[in-house]
Amino acid sequence: MSKILSKDTRWFLSIYSILLLAYPREFRQEYGSQMVLLLLDCQRDARTAPARTRIWLRTLIDLVRTAPREHLEKIRKDNTFMRNLRTDLFAIGGCVLIILAALLLLNYGRSHQVSSILVFGFALDAIVFTGVLGNLIVFLLVKLTNLRPLRIAFWTFLIVSLVPALALTFIAIAVDPKFNAPNVLIGYVVSFFFWYGLHRLWANKLKPVEPA
Amino acid sequence: MKVPTRRPEEFLPLTPAMFHILLALADKERHGYHIMREVDERTEGNVKLGPGTLYGSIKRMMADGLIEELEERPDPELDDERRRYYRLTDFGFRVATAEAQRLEQMVRSARAKKLLPRAKSS
Repeated sequence: MSKILSKDTRWFLSIYSILLLAYPREFRQEYGSQMVLLLLDCQRDARTAPARTRIWLRTLIDLVRTAPREHLEKIRKDNTFMRNLRTDLFAIGGCVLIILAALLLLNYGRSHQVSSILVFGFALDAIVFTGVLGNLIVFLLVKLTNLRPLRIAFWTFLIVSLVPALALTFIAIAVDPKFNAPNVLIGYVVSFFFWYGLHRLWANKLKPVEPA
Repeated sequence: MKVPTRRPEEFLPLTPAMFHILLALADKERHGYHIMREVDERTEGNVKLGPGTLYGSIKRMMADGLIEELEERPDPELDDERRRYYRLTDFGFRVATAEAQRLEQMVRSARAKKLLPRAKSS
């Protein structure tokens, strides 16, 4: 074990460690170090330069053959791509429908002066605004990070509800003393609970059922 | 250890790599490089398993309960303690036997069709 590795061997092992990125992450984490160790053993046993070259060529061909197979198997086994696509489309569609419904209801109430709708006008306004902005941020963060979706939803909706509510209140009070600050604040609080509640329900729905 | 819920015949035919790995582990536990060497020597250099093929097959066979990883690590004085050793499970042994019988049946058929010379009677 104490044999000193040649510069070429060390160089190729480093390259191979990088090439292992071609495999799925789980596979790499589980077997990557073992694969490098295996190659190291092969190198130690190869006595001549042509034998070492043959090992490298065979290893590279093996990598090109097996890395796509591992990816395909992962996709097939988890079926995450199609399942995630279906779930994502369903969630996005649901959010768009809710936002459209709130927008239409608000417009109808305003144009026909329906007081029973306008009572909820502040909340509907907030639901539309935080719905568009918050869901966009949540979707991007869920896709681009490994953070927990529910935690992302909580902090995103808290920020997109709290910041505009406070900003609107302070600015509007300065400009227009008759501005109805309490209702705006209540609207954004309702909006926060509405969207976060929906995300919570969605997360519970997606949670895998524990086997009995 | 994963408890197999399928019959050995459901795994047939095995890929050549899987069958060779099962054969390599049939007599004793080995680590990856040992398996590779054993297959190379037994097949007189005709089958050479690359790292991706070897560990891809090991992963699938572990998931199916055909082989298992030994929990204890080798003595650092005698071997590299990073090595993982694998051994055949009882179910893996049954699957390997079923595959060997299937291949034997095919060889018999090939002999009957005179593609192979008759086996010498012992």
